[in-house]
Amino acid sequence: MYQLRNVDKVFPGVHALKSVDFEIGRGEIVGLVGENGAGKSTLMKIIYGAYQPDGGTINIGDKIVRFQSPRQAMEQGIGMVFQEQSLIANLSVMENIFLGYEQQFVKFGVINWKEMAMAAKAQLAKVKLSIDPATITSKLSFAQRQLVELAKVLTLEERVEGELVILLDEPTSVLAKEEVELLFSLVRELTSRASFIFVSHRMDEVLELSDRIYVMKDGEVVDVVSREAADVDSIQHKMVGRDVDKEYYREQKQTPYETDAPLVSLDGVSLGTKYREISFDLHKGEVLCLVGTEGSGREAILRTIFGLDTPDAGSVSIKGEYVRSFSAQAGVAMGIGYVPRERKVEGIVGGMNVYENITLSQMKCYSNGGVLRVSEEKALAREWISKLAIKTPSELKDCGGLSGGNQQKVVLAKWRSGGSDIILLDHPTRGLDIGAKEDVYDMVRSMSADGVGIVLVADTLEEAIGLSHTIIVLKDGEMQKRFEGAPGSKPSLFDLVHYMI
Amino acid sequence: MNEFVTRDALIKWAPLIVLVVLVLVFALVEPRFFSVRNFARIGISSAPALMVAIGVTFIIIMGSIDLSMEGTVSVCAVAFAFCFLALGGTLASVAWLALPLALLVGAAIGFLNGLVHVKLKIPSFMASLAMGFVGTGFALLMTGGDRIRVEDEAFRSLLTVRWLSFPIMCYVALVFLLFAWFIQTRTKLGRNFYAVGGGEELAHSSGLNVNKVRVLGFMLAGVFYAVGSLLAVGRIGIAETATGSNFMFVSITSVVVGGTALWGGIGGVWNTLIGVLIVNVINNGMVVVGLPGYMQDGVLGLLVIVAVVLSTDRKTVEFAK
Amino acid sequence: MRFERIKPHLPWITLLALVLIVGISDTNFLKPQNLINMAADIVPLFIMALGMTFAIYIGGIDLSAQSMANMTTVIATVTLPIFGPGAALVCIVAGLVLGAISGIVTTLLLVPSFISTLAVGGIAFSAGQYLSGQRALYMDAELRDSIFGWMVGRSFGIPHELFIAAVLVLLAVFLQNRTTFGRSLKAVGAGEPAAVASGISVSRIKIMAFALSGGLAAIAGLLFAVKLSGGSPTIANGFLLPAIVAVLVGGTPLTGGVGGVVNTLIGTLIVAVIRSSMLYFEVDATQQQMVFGVVLIIAIAMTIDRSKLRVVK
Repeated sequence: MYQLRNVDKVFPGVHALKSVDFEIGRGEIVGLVGENGAGKSTLMKIIYGAYQPDGGTINIGDKIVRFQSPRQAMEQGIGMVFQEQSLIANLSVMENIFLGYEQQFVKFGVINWKEMAMAAKAQLAKVKLSIDPATITSKLSFAQRQLVELAKVLTLEERVEGELVILLDEPTSVLAKEEVELLFSLVRELTSRASFIFVSHRMDEVLELSDRIYVMKDGEVVDVVSREAADVDSIQHKMVGRDVDKEYYREQKQTPYETDAPLVSLDGVSLGTKYREISFDLHKGEVLCLVGTEGSGREAILRTIFGLDTPDAGSVSIKGEYVRSFSAQAGVAMGIGYVPRERKVEGIVGGMNVYENITLSQMKCYSNGGVLRVSEEKALAREWISKLAIKTPSELKDCGGLSGGNQQKVVLAKWRSGGSDIILLDHPTRGLDIGAKEDVYDMVRSMSADGVGIVLVADTLEEAIGLSHTIIVLKDGEMQKRFEGAPGSKPSLFDLVHYMI
Repeated sequence: MNEFVTRDALIKWAPLIVLVVLVLVFALVEPRFFSVRNFARIGISSAPALMVAIGVTFIIIMGSIDLSMEGTVSVCAVAFAFCFLALGGTLASVAWLALPLALLVGAAIGFLNGLVHVKLKIPSFMASLAMGFVGTGFALLMTGGDRIRVEDEAFRSLLTVRWLSFPIMCYVALVFLLFAWFIQTRTKLGRNFYAVGGGEELAHSSGLNVNKVRVLGFMLAGVFYAVGSLLAVGRIGIAETATGSNFMFVSITSVVVGGTALWGGIGGVWNTLIGVLIVNVINNGMVVVGLPGYMQDGVLGLLVIVAVVLSTDRKTVEFAK
Repeated sequence: MRFERIKPHLPWITLLALVLIVGISDTNFLKPQNLINMAADIVPLFIMALGMTFAIYIGGIDLSAQSMANMTTVIATVTLPIFGPGAALVCIVAGLVLGAISGIVTTLLLVPSFISTLAVGGIAFSAGQYLSGQRALYMDAELRDSIFGWMVGRSFGIPHELFIAAVLVLLAVFLQNRTTFGRSLKAVGAGEPAAVASGISVSRIKIMAFALSGGLAAIAGLLFAVKLSGGSPTIANGFLLPAIVAVLVGGTPLTGGVGGVVNTLIGTLIVAVIRSSMLYFEVDATQQQMVFGVVLIIAIAMTIDRSKLRVVK
């Protein structure tokens, strides 16, 4: 009854969805799985109206629909239960449930709280939650909030004619085992009222709950399997698919790293809920890749090494020195360079030109008593512009106006020119076109050959495997497995996925 | 979780405890402080400030700020006085029309304020600061720097007639406080302020017309500023450009000290009442125990910093500008 | 796109246009002597605006500048007989320290700068009232002339205030363009997260920016006290608005990161021309504040970088 046909979505530089067909029947639970970047979230956003497709059609029943906004989608019965919860914490439960639709309880601007409470109770009963609807939302447990969120979406039932389709985006990621069970039995019961699309990276849960499973990869639906035919291994194979192209990742340039005197050494490091008991060494010339799903703690570990986060337990040593106080200044002083994922926010300063960006982390070396030696800065910038083939008219060009790949080169130039020999790369190729990606791979190899230690959080698993000497697989903040990846004996995608989810 | 609960409780009860402690301390140092006479004095100085502070409370609950109160109060006061005198100069005549007119003027200024903020997309602190300057300038333009005396006995009875030792203006303020409480708890608009303050983007994606709520909020604040201006004129019998001076600092301090978080979403008009009383007890107490009056601004300055620091959840705010 | 391109040039175009308009309607305005006097008159305001520039450049604001100047007029008057020339030092140090306190409260305690500077302004105001005993004070004329007389004299027909302003501008431009501090300031204003991730001590830079703002407001107060030969805790009232206007019409947006010292110079001149044009067009002085309030709104609306504001609160 709800159908997508040949849906296409193109972003600058990325073909996010390629002619996707998707359908869901009345009362059905459909699972949606895929790696990060496979197109799951784009597809969901099209379904609940946050994005408009560039091609193809969306049908509800026999009629073609087009949503300009999530609200329009809601009016057609499509609701979304967000992973990042969308409840306003300082409001009561009932206010959240009817937020934006209070008018039914309002006379002359005055709210009839009794009526609203009763209506809210009815909604909460649908999700079997017996709490006082006047409770302030921030007092609820996470699982309770999830149910309130679901109740909020279920109000569509009364407002909308026709069937409901409800998207559940990673609803179990922070729930305990029993809570997951509870949620699942509830969802099964609710199939009498609505159909569900279930998105999760926990394969076992998807298999348990879904009637059918859509497997996505590279913006395409590569397979649709029914529950009976589904097994974890074959789905995982389909998710990761193709073989790694050795040439592409400059594997022939991979050289063994030095095994003595580690540059960075983590011993039993933990930080809150983000990661626990992490231990590894990074050596000169080593490319160490942290692999895991979103939220597995990869980025937080990078930020800790750089000094942006202070761990609760364990010890971090940089070049044999025990780190006592964590700060970015200390990190930079120890020769660490951080290439953040949010290139335009944390990487470069838009509004400052190329040479100003390059010397930003090392102004001390280009100044006397606080007075800058600008001509030397410019000379340095020119040197690195030619060294890394940065495409810019001159060192005076505003970095905000450069292309993504060239911005990334400027960030790398900043650290390399300052002599950083520990480089932390967080999704260094995100949003870059293929040529720019290859440039980044070349740079990784040449840095590694120069004896720089690199910790990498890669954009895709192929990239991780192709570039790394060592791979550490993380899941829910814990180390699962360590792989050695000398050329010719690299782990396969499947090996990694197996430990990731 | 436990830590969170105590923080909540602290924010909820700390202002009241501070108020009680202050009263006790001043009463111990100088028994004359603890007299109905003196409390009436505190009530008189608090009443106009409370109205202005309640106005800005709504704005702060939305997570915005309004710094236009000085200008708005002056304009309302002067407009009221001119109109009142022109229509006969006594409440017994049609001149009472000047009262609702003042409220309309307040709403109109608030409306403009909100439009500048929302339509030109200027942060509210700057939009309202600029509007406040315009307001003060406008009041000056109207008066030419003169003071306008409002000597009607019926109007001045706000101050002169007392029930149970407290002048009528205290009761007027109380009525408007209850009205504000009603708005805060029972009306859609009042609840929408909390929604906007608690999560503007979420409120927007739930279909709330955030801009409309904001503009209405500024209008409502303007009405309360106007009430404050009427009480202020009633208190001293004079309307002038300076009627509004000092309201900005005092009212913002009161709201924040009362426990309404500058980040929005938390607090309310009762907090503001406590805050206004704290500020006025300090002012009054310092005078009564013989401390120099000029220390007030400094003390309030320290107080506001402490209050903001206490109400800031350091986990959610990364950096302040 | 078109507008974005001419945007950086708007301030001086505005200035030129204003000068021409006023000049055409009254050619007396264009007489060098008149222009020089006009410029000299505005020097204390300019110095205050110069300080404000640093606070706004990093995306903050300094609402304490006026109280700071008020306070220093009192400090200067009170300390002149005691310390002689050292009075100037006392003033500047007081400004720097109070400014630094605003900065510390803003960066380390996470209090938004408009509140922290408002609060510190309250403290400065109290200090001024305390030191002055809440009345206007006067300097001993001889003492003033012997120690600070050079500030307000004339050489070659040019008032010395202009030399002071010129020296401060050159210093500030140097600080902004040629020092690590200036570069860091720009990085913080244009992209604070990237500045943090480059290992810049952002807190220190911000505290220094607020301290500079306080220090320059103090110098403005000092000059004012010397000019008027006395001080009072309310003498500089009415300076805050034009100081903010000067920074913003100069083209340094409220969101920071662009503009700077030279922009504020142009902005202050625009303010000066608007002021005198009101005289020429016989607009009542009481309307000044209204005019500047409106100019302020227009200036903010035109300069502000809305892409930096995720939600406008």
